[in-house]
Amino acid sequence: MNEHIVRSFEEELNQLAAEVVRMGGLAEAQVNDAIHAFARRDVTQAQAVIARDKKLDGLEVDIERAAIRLIALRQPMANDLRRAMAAMKIAMNLERCGDLAKNIGKRTLILVEAEPAGPVTRSIERMGRLVASRLKEVLDAYIANDVDRAVAVWASDTEVDEHYESLFRELLTYMMGDPRTITAGAHLLFVAKNLERIGDHATNIAEIVHFEITGQEIVSDRPKMDSLSQ
Amino acid sequence: MPPEPEARLNRPILLSALVGAAAPLVLAAVGQAQTGPAVIAGLAIAVLGVFLAQRRAETPAAPVVRPVVAAPPDAIPYATILEILDEPVMIIKAGEPGESADHRLVFANTAARALFRIQNLNTRLVTAIRNPQVTELVDEALFGGMAGHGAFDTGGAQDRSWRVMARPLAGPLDGPPLALLTLRDQTDLRRAERMRADFLANASHELRTPLASLSGFIETLRGPARDDAEARDRFLGIMQTQAERMARLIDDLMSLSRIELNEHVAPRGRVDLSMAVTDVVDALTPVIRDRGVTVDWTPPPRGVASIEGDRDQIVQVIQNLVENALKYSPGDAAIRLEVIAPVPGDASPGRDMEGAGLTLLTPDHHAGEHYAVLRVRDSGQGIPRDALPRLTERFYRVEGQKSGDRSGTGLGLAIVKHIVNRHRGGLSVESLEGRGSTFSVWLPLAADPAPDQPLS
Repeated sequence: MNEHIVRSFEEELNQLAAEVVRMGGLAEAQVNDAIHAFARRDVTQAQAVIARDKKLDGLEVDIERAAIRLIALRQPMANDLRRAMAAMKIAMNLERCGDLAKNIGKRTLILVEAEPAGPVTRSIERMGRLVASRLKEVLDAYIANDVDRAVAVWASDTEVDEHYESLFRELLTYMMGDPRTITAGAHLLFVAKNLERIGDHATNIAEIVHFEITGQEIVSDRPKMDSLSQ
Repeated sequence: MPPEPEARLNRPILLSALVGAAAPLVLAAVGQAQTGPAVIAGLAIAVLGVFLAQRRAETPAAPVVRPVVAAPPDAIPYATILEILDEPVMIIKAGEPGESADHRLVFANTAARALFRIQNLNTRLVTAIRNPQVTELVDEALFGGMAGHGAFDTGGAQDRSWRVMARPLAGPLDGPPLALLTLRDQTDLRRAERMRADFLANASHELRTPLASLSGFIETLRGPARDDAEARDRFLGIMQTQAERMARLIDDLMSLSRIELNEHVAPRGRVDLSMAVTDVVDALTPVIRDRGVTVDWTPPPRGVASIEGDRDQIVQVIQNLVENALKYSPGDAAIRLEVIAPVPGDASPGRDMEGAGLTLLTPDHHAGEHYAVLRVRDSGQGIPRDALPRLTERFYRVEGQKSGDRSGTGLGLAIVKHIVNRHRGGLSVESLEGRGSTFSVWLPLAADPAPDQPLS
């Protein structure tokens, strides 16, 4: 095979990864902005988050198209195939993160109409910051091709779960204290749930990155908290 | 002193000469070679010029006081200066139009490389910064020729806020467009803004709670409980407690703002610390008896602990600390008060107990200064280690101690800290959970031969 062609194929894969990173940056900003808008009751920013989600959807379509084209034309094998597939799957997860951020934005628009729920809002904001930092970590791991960092994100998922569970209890107490807060409380619960799911997508991305680099699934058992589902 | 001739050759002239000299060099360098030290050096010089000009534009022109060091410009390693600047500086080369993910880094100084963990140059910009706003700014600078600025956070454990500025950079005519990206750390500013907002939110929240209970009871008294004498008495009792709580809160807020206003004015007057403690203990005797707590207080000889200070404020410090100790002591416990003087300034005030300790306020060091130390020790439930640094935050209460009959405003220790700071003193806390806490205040002793000199 001509060396020129090989290099440009490599270049194409790098470009695809760069597009994923760019999309990751946008998804990250969406999540951060959604949390900020929620915590500060910022209507303008919440609307901006909702409007910007289209861009994320567009990027996912672009990446998927580029990946399929690359697979069709180059018929990559092994490592290269894994890279193309990883780009596509990560884009899918990022798009879901964006949807969840958009949903937080929509709920923020409803929540600003209600009385502020000080301490609970702060707890949710703390959880949001934790989730955002996991998303950042896993994207950094993807950029740096760093398996260890990806595994670290994957292993620390329980932290978010713990936050979610304590928030769940806090919200129940809050709603039981005053039935008038139930509408707002239900929305707050969904905001927390959305954040927890963004955390799950970060975990998914960590698994994809692990498979992309090593060609193997992560095997060890992750401690799982599911007292809520009992 | 008349300015020397070189002094007139001030910075703008030097700068324009510098940039002028550098520009052709950059053009030539970039035109000839794609990468290599020549490009970096040339760009570095041009960028430094732009960077300095930019900084200059933001600060008002000041008269040149010191003469400019008369060294030939080429003797100064400009690339090195750029390299060691505290602010991250990057130069970006445009990719294909419409391919924002293809922009590449041509240069990044040490600060930028450390911040974004950049391993090698000529990598894509998105692998370093993927914030969409920054990408947009760079796009505008590269393809629209427009300078712009924005803000973004780097996130993660050391979350930092940055102001980011992008501006187009003159490059070779046939080469790809270039842009300069500089960042400035704004973390402290953001944090201060946030603290102010939090304070307002907390203060109004603290005031609203008793107010809501007051208006609730008024409503009940005018409605269902109108003719119920027994309920009326009980409600009026609660209302009085709540009104007192509001009054206390407002008093504390006002004294805090007054103290802050005077924090930089040194207090005048003499206070005998041990006499002030005796007065506070006497004044609190009814409360102490009510709670069944014993107070262990042996004053040192009169005049030993004479400090320079504002008597009312010193009394407030002692009172807040003793009241706190009372509040968090179980019945039949003992509170120990102690005044030790003189303590030399370079010796630390010493530990009183086992457990975690933290200095909450350290005075500026003055050689030969001696201090009087006041220690207030309770045998209450103690304070968790991770709560210690936040004790002097306004409205901060240790988790789990908020409810119950504790009637604090959450401002007591903040007031103590500000008063002690005004008196150039220090404050420390030691605590062992389950065993109790000790608060120590140390205040500079009055200099000996100083009977107050009247001003007029």
